[in-house]
Amino acid sequence: MTKRTTRRVALRGLAMAVALGATTWIATPALAGKADDTLNIAWDRELPNIDVYFNNSREGILVNRMVWDTLIYRDPNTGEFKGLLAESFEIVNDTTFEFKLRKGVKFHNGDPFSAKDVVATVDFLLTPDTGKLAQQTIGWIKGAEALDDYTVRIYANNPTPLATLYLAGDIPIYPADHYAKVGPGGMGESPVGTGPYKVTKVVPGKEIVFEANADYFDGSPKGKPAIGTVHQRTIPDVNTQIVELTSGKLDWIWKVPADQAEKLATLPSLNVISAGTMRIGYLQFDAAGRSGENPFQDVRVRKAVSHAIDRQAIVDNIVRGASQVIDSACYPEQFGCTSDVVKYDYDVDKAKALLAEAGYPDGFRTEIYAYRNREYLEPMLGFLQQVGIETDLRYGKYAATRDAIRSNNVPFAFMTWGSGSVPDVDAITPVFFGGGPDDLAQDPEVQAALQKGGSTVDEAVRLEAYQTALGKIAAEAYWLPLWTYNTNYAMSQELDWTPTADEIPRFFFAKWK
Amino acid sequence: MLVYTAKRILLAILVSLTVSALVFSLLYLSGDPATALAGERASQADIMAIRAAYGFDQPVYVQYFKWLAGAVQGEFGESVYFRLPVIDLILERLPVTMTLGVCAMIFALALSIPLGVLAAMYPNSLIDRAALLLAVVGQAMPSFWFALMLIVLFAYWVPILPASGSDSWQHFVLPTIVLGYYATPAFMRLTRTGLLDVLSSDYVRTARAKGLRPAKVLFKHALRNAIIPVVSLAAVQFGFMLTGSIIIETVFALHGAGFLAWESISRSDFPTVQAVLLLFSWFYIILTFLADLLNAWLNPRIRVA
Amino acid sequence: MSVMNTTVPSAEQILGPTPGQILRRKVFGHRGIVIGGGIFLFIVLMALLAPWLAPYDPYHQDLVARLAPPVWHEKGTWDHILGTDQVGRDYLSRLIYGARISLLIGIMAALISGIIGTVMGVAAGYFGGKVDLVVTFLITCRLSLPVILVSLAVVAIVGGSLEMVILVLGLLLWDRYAVVMRASTQQIRSLDYVAAAQAAGCSTWYILAREILPNVMNQLIVVATLEFAHAVLLEAALSFLGLGVQPPLPSWGLMISEGRNYILFDPWLIAIPGSALFMMLLAVNLLGDGVRDVTVPENRA
Repeated sequence: MTKRTTRRVALRGLAMAVALGATTWIATPALAGKADDTLNIAWDRELPNIDVYFNNSREGILVNRMVWDTLIYRDPNTGEFKGLLAESFEIVNDTTFEFKLRKGVKFHNGDPFSAKDVVATVDFLLTPDTGKLAQQTIGWIKGAEALDDYTVRIYANNPTPLATLYLAGDIPIYPADHYAKVGPGGMGESPVGTGPYKVTKVVPGKEIVFEANADYFDGSPKGKPAIGTVHQRTIPDVNTQIVELTSGKLDWIWKVPADQAEKLATLPSLNVISAGTMRIGYLQFDAAGRSGENPFQDVRVRKAVSHAIDRQAIVDNIVRGASQVIDSACYPEQFGCTSDVVKYDYDVDKAKALLAEAGYPDGFRTEIYAYRNREYLEPMLGFLQQVGIETDLRYGKYAATRDAIRSNNVPFAFMTWGSGSVPDVDAITPVFFGGGPDDLAQDPEVQAALQKGGSTVDEAVRLEAYQTALGKIAAEAYWLPLWTYNTNYAMSQELDWTPTADEIPRFFFAKWK
Repeated sequence: MLVYTAKRILLAILVSLTVSALVFSLLYLSGDPATALAGERASQADIMAIRAAYGFDQPVYVQYFKWLAGAVQGEFGESVYFRLPVIDLILERLPVTMTLGVCAMIFALALSIPLGVLAAMYPNSLIDRAALLLAVVGQAMPSFWFALMLIVLFAYWVPILPASGSDSWQHFVLPTIVLGYYATPAFMRLTRTGLLDVLSSDYVRTARAKGLRPAKVLFKHALRNAIIPVVSLAAVQFGFMLTGSIIIETVFALHGAGFLAWESISRSDFPTVQAVLLLFSWFYIILTFLADLLNAWLNPRIRVA
Repeated sequence: MSVMNTTVPSAEQILGPTPGQILRRKVFGHRGIVIGGGIFLFIVLMALLAPWLAPYDPYHQDLVARLAPPVWHEKGTWDHILGTDQVGRDYLSRLIYGARISLLIGIMAALISGIIGTVMGVAAGYFGGKVDLVVTFLITCRLSLPVILVSLAVVAIVGGSLEMVILVLGLLLWDRYAVVMRASTQQIRSLDYVAAAQAAGCSTWYILAREILPNVMNQLIVVATLEFAHAVLLEAALSFLGLGVQPPLPSWGLMISEGRNYILFDPWLIAIPGSALFMMLLAVNLLGDGVRDVTVPENRA
């Protein structure tokens, strides 16, 4: 009898414990929008670490501009350089930059900003094996030197045409003492910068809360922020994002697919903007045969593919927005990007003839690697099928796909490149044709021309070199450049914010209507 | 009972070891995460440096034993993506998954046991068939489809519930329904058949013959016996639910352990995937272990070999 | 032994009461079997006759005609009865051809896992002893590995394709077969006629093939229907996460996951393949339930 009772008690206890577990989760839902001066935004990916030197995503760049400042600032609309943490700067010679720093600037934790922070940041960047990213944007630096508390020189290894661009975008200044103490991990958990917003809460991957920095220094071209709080959440599914936007729980989302953006634009409570970006899409062929024998080693096959895909139809019907078809292996408005190259129009007969000439009258079967935009990819696969090219799609995440390319496994890939928003050919073409691990063309002539263009600041020499390189790339059809990308932003009607062409949302310019 | 428990513990340990080796070797095949870490604009030199820094260049068995030794102490290394201790990440996200799991379990039991009882009391009646239909329908819908439908219904057309997040109890309503619904058919079937068995057994007939009220017979005698297998199934199902939550967490933007696992898979975050996989496995092993003990305690026949 | 017995769900937990005698004559009187079987047959026919039934080439795209609504929509036309998809392919044709892929996945996965699971289960049940110990241990290990996570990880590593999805699911879903087959075999093995056959000197193979297998067939069919449904659902889930069958192949799971981006504004794109998948799984489940009912008469007493 007693045994049975204990069992009964135990079962009841279990039931109660389960019930308690369920009721402990009670909190109040957050308010949204203009009413409480909180801008609720969402994006789809989890940010690895807010410390920008350990985080390369576009969302990371966005956060970087909000929380930290760079020495100089580049106006995203005019391209003009202005002082930011530096009041002024001077290019002493091809490899020396001198900055007069602003006085009275404070970090979010109260530390005053001075030359030692700049030097410490640069020293950190030059320390090997810290696991930091983006060698391209910092690899050119030789060192930094403080002339006095408010004067700093930064030296380059070689003449670097993009140095000012990198300084204006990718090299935010960290508080020397604080960073030495907490390191990248601590910086990621509670970031400290000088920027217009400070981070008051981070749940890694889930949410970030930004509060306006009331002490943000006067005279910053970023201006004092108008919106009190920016609350970011990670919502992976775009439908869920849209539902939350329409119900007012979000005020801003981006990367909305064109079809949904079109429908959202018809809703009176929302404002939808499509803006061009510096990202371009391209098909990459393994012309050098790095993945082993493959049909794309034959230039006629590469040309056939180029003729087989109706890029204009895809842009008109699917990509839409501000996108345009491109023919050159770069973003049209980048310095040095010429469109004076061989063009391949949509011509199925020509494509079939070229394939037959190359020995594939009935087409062939190939793997294709891709990592984003299935909606663009599918029609391309359809066009290829029309000329007899059957595809096995290997769809993965970016890192896995690029790793496959670099380890010689990929004959054919649909990829994109955003150039890190750097408006210069040097940020794109040399990466893929300069002889590095992503170079599937391995054309010494192209490599030489790109090398020449990247190691001088003489604009005429550079233009000529890039014309040579891009011309050869198109003539040999090493790539099929596809189109420029656009980003669709959907936001609440109450929000006054405009996108910029560099695809970096700047919420310090946003205000309520 | 003591011998049984000891044997059972030994088995649990053996299974966990095997599973840990499986989990480790599986993910070892996935290539290394250095590129994922390095990002779009990194050079080959960056990647090599990262590879060395994280020890991805050491032999497999060295990596395995290091990892296992750490795992036993609750130390799963650092997430290569977040650069935070994996255990911190998991502990931060586990409450969401657990809450979802517990709520879904309660929902499933609350729905299926009464339905199962009704179905068993009136076999072949309308209510039996309706319950059966509910179960069959539940097994025929992809969970993400059901989840999206609920979002469209209750967050978009009739916006009364939030579609994403985990800040309040309202946020858990829709995910609970979706996740719980998928466990309902199994519970309902088990309750129904178990109860039918017991109702036709001798002692229930005797109780009836003695003139006890039907309700009393049902609840006092029959249901208690019929519910025992449900308890042990609940343990197993709870383990399944944890993994089933991957898709539900993705749709509802619940930042739980399941979502963490999926995201980590897609960005080749080795240590995190291994840790979540292993933890989920251990969780299942412990739950079934407890369920077996409970069963053995409630039903002494099991203990006798 | 008893230690092992309890670590996995028993056959009863999955299938309800143990099977009684086989009552084939009940089959055609059973509504579930007739309805389920009818729908399933219809889908199989659709798959087999796809080239004659489909009005268009399921791969032919027409970007200008994309996202045409189905005929019952106010803007729909009879040119495309179920409308067109996001690259302008005829949705009806894709649905018809998609039946092939989805059936293939379900059947092949159920078959592969069925072979693995049955061999393991029957061996464990028939030979007992160490074999049983090993098999039960394997089942326990397999059950402690979360299916979705493991298949996601594997497919993410090796790349998603039709063959890969079938293989991964086939290699993962054998546990239920093994559990059920083991229990049924144990039961049958203890029956007199098996002992008689052994005494008569019949070979082990003969007994397994002639005495054991026919008697566990009904259970096998029930589990097969469950695993068929399970595999098709998992494929849809994998496709949802981008790791299932790859375009341009038309699988229903892939169509659902591609249609999900249109769920708010063009809902038929997800509703049509969703309903098709639903009907197929419903049919298979009804069939499975029917077989169970017919073979376990007391369940419906």
